[in-house]
Amino acid sequence: MAQTILVVDDSPTVVKFVSFSLKNSGFNVISACDGMDAIEKISNMSQKVDLVITDLNMPNLDGYGLIDTLRHNEQHRETPIIILTSEEGSEDKVKGMNVGASSYLVKPFKSSLLLNEVSKYLEV
Amino acid sequence: MTMTDLLQNQIQKEISELTDSINLIVDNFKTLRNPLAESHEKVPIAARQLDKVTEQTEAAANRMLDMLETITERQGEVITGLETIKGEVEKQGAEELTTLANSLVEKVNTNLNDAYSIMDALQFQDITSQQVNHAVSLLEDLGGKLQTIVTAFHGNPPEETAEEMPRKERAFDPRADMNDKKTNQADIDNLFNNRA
Repeated sequence: MAQTILVVDDSPTVVKFVSFSLKNSGFNVISACDGMDAIEKISNMSQKVDLVITDLNMPNLDGYGLIDTLRHNEQHRETPIIILTSEEGSEDKVKGMNVGASSYLVKPFKSSLLLNEVSKYLEV
Repeated sequence: MTMTDLLQNQIQKEISELTDSINLIVDNFKTLRNPLAESHEKVPIAARQLDKVTEQTEAAANRMLDMLETITERQGEVITGLETIKGEVEKQGAEELTTLANSLVEKVNTNLNDAYSIMDALQFQDITSQQVNHAVSLLEDLGGKLQTIVTAFHGNPPEETAEEMPRKERAFDPRADMNDKKTNQADIDNLFNNRA
């Protein structure tokens, strides 16, 4: 059975682009437009989420808030989370790391780089 | 005339000049009010136009992504077909046709890689939409400041125009850029791998 990745970004273009790359590599992809939407979707899902890819700057609940919420949830304490953002400052990376992200990718990125990062946690 | 009278006259003259100056300043402020109020009214129009740019580039980028997805699927089918043809012509020992099939497979693979590169490049839409959102946010701040000045001149806030719209919640990175990446992935991975 295909592994499931949750893609969280308020840009429909990024969601489409990332989803295409992941689906092409055999993953099942679910998307959310912000942190709140992601939490709602993840709570109502019957299947397990194997990895989360999230943006940082989003309305309602940003990426830091989403990661923090997931890390305080028993079920998602160990779920790999990749931050995908245009924020390049070292303070953002440290904050992402401290809040519990597994990896950090800076936009714009090559899809091969994203798949390489995903392959550290899931079988591509 | 006593010294006191002289001083009083001098003071009266100064006060009169000061009053004239204040009146002139007030008149100048009054003439400034209209252009300021007009500028204030134009801010939401400019913001709406910029939002339209984002919406339209987003729609266009998504259409392109859909088409590229269809193209890559089709190219995959072409490769499968060509591989079958190649197998058949190899069995027949037709060397020229085998070479031609190999060259076609290579060209289709190049097309596929080019399609993926175009997809990568379409991320410009996300980056430029963040830059536009930053500009709109600055414009909205400017609009707020103009409103304060116009209100101070007039005593009431400027009338709401038809263009007045509720502010959108904007989440963006003010430093988003297509170029100028300052860090490489290996450095970021090292940071995350060496966390305490």
